[in-house]
Amino acid sequence: MEQYPPLLALSLFFAVSAVLFFLFRPEKGFYWLARKNINSRKKVIIEDVLKFLYHGEATNNSINIKDLTRSLNFREQQIFESIRQMTEHGLIHLEGENIKLTAEGNEYALQIVRAHRLWEHFLAEKTGFDKSQWHTKAEMMEHQLSRDETDKLAASLGHPLFDPHGDPIPTKTGQLATQKGKALSQLEPGTVGRIVHIEDEPEVIYRQILAENIHIGSQIKVIENTASRLVFHAEGESFVLAPIVAANLSVAVLEQDETPEEGVTRLSALKENETAQIVQISKEIRGERRRRLLDLGFVKGAKVQVDLPNPLGEPKAFRIKGTSIALRDNQSSKILIKKID
Amino acid sequence: MDNKNIENIIKLSDDLRWNIGNDFHDSLAEGIYADASSIVEETVSTGSQKSRATLDAKIDRIVTSRTWGFPIMFLLLALVLWLTIIGANYPSSFLSWLFLDTMHPALKTLATGINMPWWLNGFLIDGVYLAVAWVIAVMLPPMAIFFPLFTLMEDFGYLPRVAFNLDYLFKKSGAHGKQALTMSMGFGCNAAGVVATRIIDSPRERLVAIITNNFSLCNGRWPTQILIATIFVGAVVPQYLAGFASLAAVIGIALLGIFFMFFTSWALSKTVLKGEVSTFNLELPPYRPPRFWKTIYTSLIDRTLIVLWRAVVFAAPAGAVIWLISNIQIGGESIAAIMINSFDGFGWLIGLNGVILLAYIVAIPANEIVIPTILMLTVLVTGTSGGAGAGVMFEADSALATGEILKAGGWTLLTAINLMLFSLLHNPCSTTIYTIYKETKSVKWTTVATVLPIIMGLVITFLVAQIWRLF
Repeated sequence: MEQYPPLLALSLFFAVSAVLFFLFRPEKGFYWLARKNINSRKKVIIEDVLKFLYHGEATNNSINIKDLTRSLNFREQQIFESIRQMTEHGLIHLEGENIKLTAEGNEYALQIVRAHRLWEHFLAEKTGFDKSQWHTKAEMMEHQLSRDETDKLAASLGHPLFDPHGDPIPTKTGQLATQKGKALSQLEPGTVGRIVHIEDEPEVIYRQILAENIHIGSQIKVIENTASRLVFHAEGESFVLAPIVAANLSVAVLEQDETPEEGVTRLSALKENETAQIVQISKEIRGERRRRLLDLGFVKGAKVQVDLPNPLGEPKAFRIKGTSIALRDNQSSKILIKKID
Repeated sequence: MDNKNIENIIKLSDDLRWNIGNDFHDSLAEGIYADASSIVEETVSTGSQKSRATLDAKIDRIVTSRTWGFPIMFLLLALVLWLTIIGANYPSSFLSWLFLDTMHPALKTLATGINMPWWLNGFLIDGVYLAVAWVIAVMLPPMAIFFPLFTLMEDFGYLPRVAFNLDYLFKKSGAHGKQALTMSMGFGCNAAGVVATRIIDSPRERLVAIITNNFSLCNGRWPTQILIATIFVGAVVPQYLAGFASLAAVIGIALLGIFFMFFTSWALSKTVLKGEVSTFNLELPPYRPPRFWKTIYTSLIDRTLIVLWRAVVFAAPAGAVIWLISNIQIGGESIAAIMINSFDGFGWLIGLNGVILLAYIVAIPANEIVIPTILMLTVLVTGTSGGAGAGVMFEADSALATGEILKAGGWTLLTAINLMLFSLLHNPCSTTIYTIYKETKSVKWTTVATVLPIIMGLVITFLVAQIWRLF
């Protein structure tokens, strides 16, 4: 029988494990990186440049080559080469230092934006990927969907107008719905409105917004707006944000004929021995999950009570329509209620 | 219709879609639900169902309370397992007396009487018959006790409360609270546990529950754990602590299984199962007196007999294979001996031996026949006295005698501990694998569920063996 010294066997094992770990660890593994690199061919670079120019023009910023090399994660040489090709194909033209999209280039860029936002909508409605992953996944998928596939996707999703973050999705003909939101950081104290858009870039700020448990579609009231912080109330809770974070939330100010909702709170805040009536299910709960809640009886006007607290805190059981249903906090915080006596 | 008109209509529909906004699907559906519920409220009268029965509420307060919720749960699970393991001994020894000690010799005599050739006799009676009889004798009684008890608790309405209590822990590992139930069901039988995952309505959590069910120590493995712990772990402590130490070792293995279940659930939901839709809601039904006879009947038919039938179907060929590899000789050595020799080096690396590895390969159909196969193969390769002949599985008269045979086969405390670990962490039995395929209809997930535990088992036993040898 062969005998291996244990130290040798153990060190061999750990060496092999380490190699496998660095190759295949999620996201950062060399194997995945290599695969991604092979994918970042000319097409991807061109499309990313187009998208960057498009977003620049939408916000009235002029963009030169330096902006491109600084902001996009490609080698300078690659970007120069793709700009040369794009000029040849008439997608862009130069105005002095600045690069501008031609009509053709604009149309191409819209197509990419359309694929990106539709894919985010698809991920939100039909899959279980976490919000924080939608953007990265869509960044990859936008380069792979052909025009036909994009149209089919749009049809199967019921031609949505907005992506789950509240960004308008361009139609086949390049039309865009208008979003009437203003940046939350610009609102005066006392303003009442509804969150219509949550920007998902840069990721650091988006993660902070997610951690705050702020929901799209919530009605808010600005309480305080100073240079150092912004305070607003929504759904019975109080939120404090840094102005730079608040700038990434857009709010549609309520029109004259709309009445602000009073006393609306989240189901997760309901206490024992209180009774409440359901106002609505937040827009954050989509697709399958939304229908399931409706099936269980969480419909507008239904009366709800806490049936059982949980020994570990959650899920709590709620009494609704004569049955007892246990919900985790991440769901009950997205059901809006109004307490009744 | 000319093209102009069609274009106009399409334009009109686009404009309408534009104006109607994005939420009309939701608003429409919700409007219908709300209308339906208000119609129900007006027209259906529901006695005095305002607050629910006070008895129900009282029971719920106790079984989900901070103080009593968890102790009650563990006590009930321990009670069910104890009743199963102790209670199954009597019918099991009766069945093994009937099938193994009485019928087997009788069949042998009959076969000799009608001049059956020795190879057919051995193949059919020592191989196929013995494996099937063994599986029935060891498997049927615990399942016939465990499943009805479990189903009674389910019918009473207690099990959903267990899921309710434990959900937070499962949520942390990305799983569904109801996995607590399928996991407990797995303590009875993994195949039944996998079928039970049908109660989980969310596809992602259901897959997690299916793949990790094998980490529940099933009825086929409890006896192995108890036997090995009694022989080897009990022997290293003073006599008066022996019983306690071996019990602690077995419970430790079961708890380790629960740990691996949580760990694997967490790892799966962070990696390969990230994108599957997950929904969670759990209905807590009112308590009701269990329908005793109906429950006994359905749990016997639905759970016990179906699982038993599948096990028998898979055990028969395994018995044949075990007999064949022990009796077909190549170059003066049986196939079994050749395989054992070639496995020995790798077996040593992970603190086991070639006999154990071969036994786990041929006994994939049922964990119940692992120990009898190990005993038979050990006697075959060491040439010690005892045993019932090549390819004939047997069990020694006492734990002591079993220990003697195993020690003659070169077993140490390390072999015993690693066998217990490997018995917990290896591929599911073929009945379970087949059931996983039936439930998931996916070769991919069946492969994951099969290969994942065995990789973990090899890694863990390897680490334990090497670190053990360092000291």
